[in-house]
Amino acid sequence: MLYSGMWTGDTMTNAYELIINILTAIGVYDTIFGVFKSYGMEFVLKLIIVLVTLAVLFGFVLVTVMFLTWMERKVAAMVQSRYGPMVTGPRGLLQPVMDGIKLIGKEDIVPAKADRFVFNLAPYLAFVPAILVFVPLPFGESLIISDLRVGLLYIIAISALSPISILLAGWASNNKYTLLAAMRAVAQDISYTLPLALTAIAVVMLTGSLSTVDIVNAQSGTWFGIIPKWFIFLQPLAFILFLIASIAEMGRIPFDFQESESELIAGFFTEYSGMKFAMYFLAEYAHLFAVSGILVTIFLGGWNGPVLPGIPVVITSLVYFILKTYAVVFFAMWLRDTVPRIRIDQLLNIGWKIMIPLALLNLIVTGFLITAGVMR
Amino acid sequence: MTWMTRNWTMSGIIKGLTVTLKHVLHIGDRPTVTVQYPYERMKVAPRFRGLHAVDEDACIGCGICDTNCPNGSIRIVKHGTRWYPQVNIGMCMFCGYCVDVCPMNAMKMTGNYELADYTRESLVYGPDRLLFKKEVKQ
Repeated sequence: MLYSGMWTGDTMTNAYELIINILTAIGVYDTIFGVFKSYGMEFVLKLIIVLVTLAVLFGFVLVTVMFLTWMERKVAAMVQSRYGPMVTGPRGLLQPVMDGIKLIGKEDIVPAKADRFVFNLAPYLAFVPAILVFVPLPFGESLIISDLRVGLLYIIAISALSPISILLAGWASNNKYTLLAAMRAVAQDISYTLPLALTAIAVVMLTGSLSTVDIVNAQSGTWFGIIPKWFIFLQPLAFILFLIASIAEMGRIPFDFQESESELIAGFFTEYSGMKFAMYFLAEYAHLFAVSGILVTIFLGGWNGPVLPGIPVVITSLVYFILKTYAVVFFAMWLRDTVPRIRIDQLLNIGWKIMIPLALLNLIVTGFLITAGVMR
Repeated sequence: MTWMTRNWTMSGIIKGLTVTLKHVLHIGDRPTVTVQYPYERMKVAPRFRGLHAVDEDACIGCGICDTNCPNGSIRIVKHGTRWYPQVNIGMCMFCGYCVDVCPMNAMKMTGNYELADYTRESLVYGPDRLLFKKEVKQ
């Protein structure tokens, strides 16, 4: 996307243009642009705006992760007839801040026989994809960092990076538990990325586009004025498969083989402490939020919702997206506190013998229905 | 043909989810049972065996509690002009024998259970910390 000259404010498809539109609305954009243009450095302004959007995204992810850790503990406590964190801040809301301060203050221990370089590298490899997944995620109308034409493919490709980090961490720690957990996690991730992608392809067949914005736009409107045109109603089987596969991909109970406490201490990050442990923690919850957001984008209508008069659609769409995503996050936490962990052989059996055949079946049926003209 | 006998509706998970949701929403008799300890305390039972207390007027310093103490945590020491028991809480197992054998019913146990301390010496409760004066009924 190349913009030359003054901004006219016609189109507004991503956060970059949204910022420019806001600046134009305030009436300062032309002045700023003029200042930069007089030095012949318009690209610096573009870079600054892009960096601002990225900083906002980063801050949003950090705050969300902090809130999610609090929410996880609160939901677990409510299920178990407890209060959960109550002391720090109102209802314990500042507890994640204290945890973060504690983790930063911890000693950063590297095991004596560990592969130091790989050991230090692995947390970053886990953290960076967790942030990168958010780039093509539409938080609301025009609230998207970049509307990639291959958005869904990008998301699946980026989340398929996480096994590398896990395997590096497990191997470099030089510990039998981390290695076992890493092996399990990689087997799990690989076998569940397939149904994840196959069910997403069923949706792509309906929309004819991999762009997340196109997928969300295809779900606007209603049938008979009541039922929203969400793909969950067109693809119920795909939705259930995607939900199960994404929970497995996140590595949460009942599929938390990467960190099964009762068997493998803490899984592949047993040897990590301090800031590196915090990075894994951050990546885990950022991933949870991202996957919930993707689920909402693909099956639950994204930021679509009833338009309220008087409120800008940017704000209402953001609220709808956040509400739906937190509903999915709550479901994941609720499920975590309800069901026990399954066995590793059951996990692989479900993945290869049930999920993938069902996903393929769903794909075939969807293809037939689209060709016959029943759907869409 | 195992696929026919499989539980495809996942009814067990749905049932479990219903139960946990009832706990989250406090449906039925499912209250939050945690006690926020430092801010609120549970009520102890009336016969709870906590820290000892010795009636200043009733105790005759006979030493029967001393001889009956299984852990030997009681000693009779001089306090002012009279003799009173001194209890080492660090050795005491709160069996309550001393209370049972006291001929004058001078010894009793209170509901005080917050007895953690910084030194072993401060766990030895002398008569100055154990004695209490019974209010005389008119």
